[in-house]
Amino acid sequence: MIQILSGIQNTAAALDAERTRIDVISQNIANANNTHDLNGKPYQRQVVVFESALKQAMNGEPASQLPVLQVARIERDSRPGQSIYSPGNPDADDHDMVVMPNISISEEMADMINASRSFEANLAVVKNARQMAMQTLAMGRH
Amino acid sequence: MPSAMSGLDLMSRAPRIAPAELQTLGQPQEISGVQPSGDSFAGMLGKMVSDVNAKQHAAGDSVAALQAGQNVPLHQAVIAMEEANVSFQLMVEVRNKLLESYQEIMRMQI
Repeated sequence: MIQILSGIQNTAAALDAERTRIDVISQNIANANNTHDLNGKPYQRQVVVFESALKQAMNGEPASQLPVLQVARIERDSRPGQSIYSPGNPDADDHDMVVMPNISISEEMADMINASRSFEANLAVVKNARQMAMQTLAMGRH
Repeated sequence: MPSAMSGLDLMSRAPRIAPAELQTLGQPQEISGVQPSGDSFAGMLGKMVSDVNAKQHAAGDSVAALQAGQNVPLHQAVIAMEEANVSFQLMVEVRNKLLESYQEIMRMQI
C-alpha cells in the first residue's frame, strides 16, 4: 500500500492517546465530588501513562521503523483526599468528617488544556502532511 | 468524495475475474481489468488503481462504522478520508500525464 501522507501512523496513534487522556480527565472532573466509588471509598484520581511501542506489520504493510505512542496503563493517584466537615452526610464518619476524592478541579483543567493543545498540535501535523502532498502533486501540473 | 467513489465503482464494474477467483479476494474489490501482476507499466498502474480503490473502501467503511455508532474515533475516519482523497488526486495526476503524452505522440508528424 502506498504511504501517501508522511508520518501519519505516528500522528494517528498520538491522537488516539491524547483522546484517551482527555477521556480520563473528563472522568476525573465528573467524579470530583463522588465520595462513594464502587469499592465504597472516595473516588481516586486516575492518571494516564504513555509509552512507545513498535507497530506490528499489518496485512502486507511493512512495520513502521519509528515507535508509535500508545497508552501503557491508567493508574490511580494514591495521594490522600481532603477531609471536610459535613454533618448529615451518609458517608461521614463518627466525627462528621467526609473524605473527598483527591481531585483538584484547577489541576484537571490545566491537564485538559495541555491534552487538548497536544491534540491540536497533532491535527496541525495532519493538515501539514496533507498540504505537503497536495503541493507536491501540484508540482506535476503546469 | 461520493462522486469520486461512484466513478471507481463504474470502473470496477467493467470486466471481472471469474466469480470463484473473486471470492478469494478480500473485502476491497480489486480492479480486475488490468491484472496487478508483473513489472509492466500497465501492471503498476493497475495496482495503483486498486490501491486507491482499497483506500476509498477503507474510508467509506470507517465513516459507515462511525455513523453506525461503533467505537471508531472521529479523527481516524477523517484521516482515512484524507488519505483516500490525496491518493485519488495522485491517481488523477498520473492519468492526466499519461493522456497528455499519448496526445503528444498522436500529434507527431509522420
